[in-house]
Amino acid sequence: MNSLSRSRMRAASAVLHGAVVMAMGLCWTVPAFAADVIRVVSPFQTTTLDPMRSAAAGNIETYGQLYSRLLRRDAETGALEPGLAEKWDISPDGKTYTFHLRDAQFSDGSPITAADVAFSLERIRTDKKSAYPAPLGAVEAVSAADAKTVVVTLKSAFAPFLGNAEIWNMGIVSKADVDKRGEEAFASVPVTSGPYEVKQWKPNEKLVLEPNPHYWRKGYPKSDATVELIEIASPETRIAMLKAGEIDVVRAVPWAQVDDLKTVETVDMRLEPSTTIYMTLLNHKREPFSNLKARQAAGMAIDNKAMAKAITRGYAEPANTTLPGSVDFHDKDYPGISYEPAKAKELLAESGMAGREVKILATADALSQQMALLIQAQWQAIGLKPSIVNVDGGAWWDATGKGDYDAAANWWYNETPDPDLAVRWAVCGTCGSNSYNTFYENPKVDALVEQGTREADPAKRAEIYKEIQRITTEEVAQIPLYYAPNAVAYSRRLQGLRLTASLQGTLEETTFGQ
Amino acid sequence: MPLLQLISRRLLQLIGVLAGISLVTFLLVHMAPGDPARLLAGERASAESIAAIRAQYGLDLPLWRQFLTYIANLVSGDIGLSLRFQRPVIQLIEQFMWPTLFLTGYVLCLAVPPTVALAILGARRPGGIGDQIIRLVGIAGLTIPVFWLGIMMSRFFGVSLGWFPVSGYGTGFTGHLHHLFLPAVSTAIWLVPVLTQSLRAALIEKTTADFVTAARAQGATERQIFWQTMLPNAVLPTLNLLGVMVAFMIGGAVIVETVYAVPGLGTLMVNALLGRDYYVVQGLTLVFAVSTVLITLAVDLLTAFIDPRVRF
Repeated sequence: MNSLSRSRMRAASAVLHGAVVMAMGLCWTVPAFAADVIRVVSPFQTTTLDPMRSAAAGNIETYGQLYSRLLRRDAETGALEPGLAEKWDISPDGKTYTFHLRDAQFSDGSPITAADVAFSLERIRTDKKSAYPAPLGAVEAVSAADAKTVVVTLKSAFAPFLGNAEIWNMGIVSKADVDKRGEEAFASVPVTSGPYEVKQWKPNEKLVLEPNPHYWRKGYPKSDATVELIEIASPETRIAMLKAGEIDVVRAVPWAQVDDLKTVETVDMRLEPSTTIYMTLLNHKREPFSNLKARQAAGMAIDNKAMAKAITRGYAEPANTTLPGSVDFHDKDYPGISYEPAKAKELLAESGMAGREVKILATADALSQQMALLIQAQWQAIGLKPSIVNVDGGAWWDATGKGDYDAAANWWYNETPDPDLAVRWAVCGTCGSNSYNTFYENPKVDALVEQGTREADPAKRAEIYKEIQRITTEEVAQIPLYYAPNAVAYSRRLQGLRLTASLQGTLEETTFGQ
Repeated sequence: MPLLQLISRRLLQLIGVLAGISLVTFLLVHMAPGDPARLLAGERASAESIAAIRAQYGLDLPLWRQFLTYIANLVSGDIGLSLRFQRPVIQLIEQFMWPTLFLTGYVLCLAVPPTVALAILGARRPGGIGDQIIRLVGIAGLTIPVFWLGIMMSRFFGVSLGWFPVSGYGTGFTGHLHHLFLPAVSTAIWLVPVLTQSLRAALIEKTTADFVTAARAQGATERQIFWQTMLPNAVLPTLNLLGVMVAFMIGGAVIVETVYAVPGLGTLMVNALLGRDYYVVQGLTLVFAVSTVLITLAVDLLTAFIDPRVRF
C-alpha cells in the first residue's frame, strides 16, 4: 500500500466519520438531555424490587416506576384509566371482570401476555410471601382466557375491585423471568413493565433507573433522563443537598423547614394532597384503654386543632373521624371528638382509670417525639400518668403487634380513594390487621365493612361508611389527630413532576424547564 | 524471631476475639425486640406472610440452631446473606468499604501534619503564649459536637458558599477528595486536639528524661536532641492512640457519614441495625473487630521498628 492510497483512505474514513456524526446529530434531537439525571431523595429505603414482597413506604414509591398495572390513575384528575388493559367488561352480577390487554412489551422486548397478568395477580393473592394480598381478598380466581384476555372471577360482587387492581403491589411481572430466576429475578435487575428499568441497584444507597425503551405508553417517559432514587436518613442533609442544588426532589420535608424552603428561589415547595391520617393508637386489649369511658376521656383531653397547628405549623387539617380526610365517603360534617378537658377529667374519674399509668410508645424522629410529648402533657392534665418509652421502628412494630403498649401516635395512608382498604386496615377486627394493632373489635363494624364492598350504589355505600366512621369515632377506636398533606420540595428546573395521593411519583411525565 | 512471634500470637488472639464477638453480637441482635420479616414486608403485611418469611430465612428455628448454622457458615468463610437485600453480606461490605477507608485515610492526611506541628510548637515553650492558644483552641475543637459542626459546615461551605458538595462520595480520585473534604475536616477538627495533647505531653515529659541529659552531655546540639532523641521516643504513645482512633473511625464514622450522606460502613451499620438485618450487623462487627486487631498489630510493628527495645 503506497502513501497516496493510505491518505485517500484516511480522507474517505474522515468523510464517513463526519457523516455518521452528522446523522447521529440529526437523529438525536435531544442529545443534551441524555446526560441529565433526576435525583429524588427520600428517607424511605428500597429493600426489594419485587412488587409482591413489601408494603413499606420506600418500595411502594419504587414499584410504580418499574411495573405497569392493568389500570392506571390520571395524575391530574385521579380518575381510573386503561393501563395494560385496554378495556374491560364487567358481568351483570358484578362477579366476573374480563380484561382485554393492549399490545405491550416488557423491558426485555418480550410481549406482556394474559399469562403474565394471571401469574402476577395470583402471586400477589396466594403466594405465602405476598406482603399485602388484602386488595385481592374478594378474588376467587384469575385466569388467562387467551393470550390477550384475562378473566377475574370474584367470590361476590366487590365494588372497589377496579381501584384495587391499580394499587402499588399490582404491578405485572414477567412470568418467564420469575420462573427462570426465582427470587434472584428481583435481587438486582428485574424485567420490568413500567416506565423505567433498573440500571443499577446499590442497596442502602440508591436505585438508578433508566427509561424502559419498550414501555407501552409511547413517548413516555417524556425525558430520557436517568433517575436516581437516593436514600438519605438525615432530614438536615436532605434539605442541604436540595439547597446546594445536588438533588431535585426531597420527600418528607420536616414541617419546620417548609416556610424556609418556600423562600428559596430555586425550590418549589409544595404541599400535595394525600390520604394520610395522623392518629393515636390506643391498646384496647388492656386497661386503661380497654375501658370505653377512659378512651373517650383520652380523646376529649386532646386538642387536635392546637396539635395540628403546633406540629405542622398549620399546614394540616385537624382530623374529625378515624378515616383519612380525602378518601371517598369521608364524613366532612361529623363533628369529631370535641376538646373538653374538664369533662374528660370527669369521665376518667367515672371510668375508675384515673391515676393509671399509660405507656406511650415513640420513635426517635422529631415528629414522633413532638406528638408523644404533647399527648403526654394533655393526658397528665386529666389525671392519667403517662410515660414515654422510646424505641426504634423495629421495636415499635414488635410492641404494637403484641399489644405491649397503651398508646402510640403514628400515621398511615390509604392506597386508593375508596375507603374499603382503609376500614379494613384501621377499624376492622376480622380483617387480619387487628384494627392497626389496637385490637379494637366491634362485630357491627366488621359486618358493615363487608356490606360496604357488596353495595354498588354509591349513595348507599356513603351511608355505610358514614356509619362506620360514626361508631368508631364515638367509641374512640383511635384518636384522630390531623390530615397532613405530603410536603415535597422540587427543584424548579423540573416540570410535570408530582407525588400523587397514592404515593406514586409522576416521573414519566417530567420534563426539564428552562 | 520475636517479630514473627508477635504476629502469630496476635493472629491466634484474633481467632479468640472473633469467636467471642460473634457470640455476643449474635445474641445482642437476635434478642433485641423487632422482627426483620416485619420490617422487610412492611406494616400492612399479614401474619401469614411474616411467618412465611421467617420460615424461609430460618428465623423460626431455635436460637441455638440458628447460631450453629451461622458458625458453621462462618468457618467455611461465608458470613451470610443480607435478609433485606438478598445479597451476600460480603458484597455489601465491599461496596460500602471504600468510602470509609478513603475517608479514614483522608482524615489521617489532614490530621497528622498539624498534630505534629502544633505539638512541637506547644512543647517548645510549655506554658508560653503559643502553647496556651493551642491548648485553648484544642479544647474548643474537642468539645464541639461532630454532628453540629457537620451540619454547620455543610450549611456554610456547601449551601451558602457552594465550595464543597454536601453529600455523597463523588467519582474519581479528585471527586472523592472534593466530596469528602468537609466530612474529613469535621473529623480532623476533633481528632487533632486529642493527638496533639498526647504528643505534647509526651514531648514535655521527655525533655527531662535521662537519655536527653545524656545526649546533651555528649555534646549533641539541641536540634539533634529534639529530632533524633526526643521525638522518636515521644511519638510512641501517640502512635498507639492514633491506632485506636483509626480503628474507631472505621467502625464509628457513623455520625459524619450520616450528616454528609457518605455511603460508607457507618451508614450501612445504622440502617442494618434499624432494619434488623442480622447478618449484615454481624458481618460488619466482625469486619470492625478484624480491622481493630490488624491496626493494633500494625501499630505494634511500627512501634517495634521505631523503638528496638519493644522487640525484646
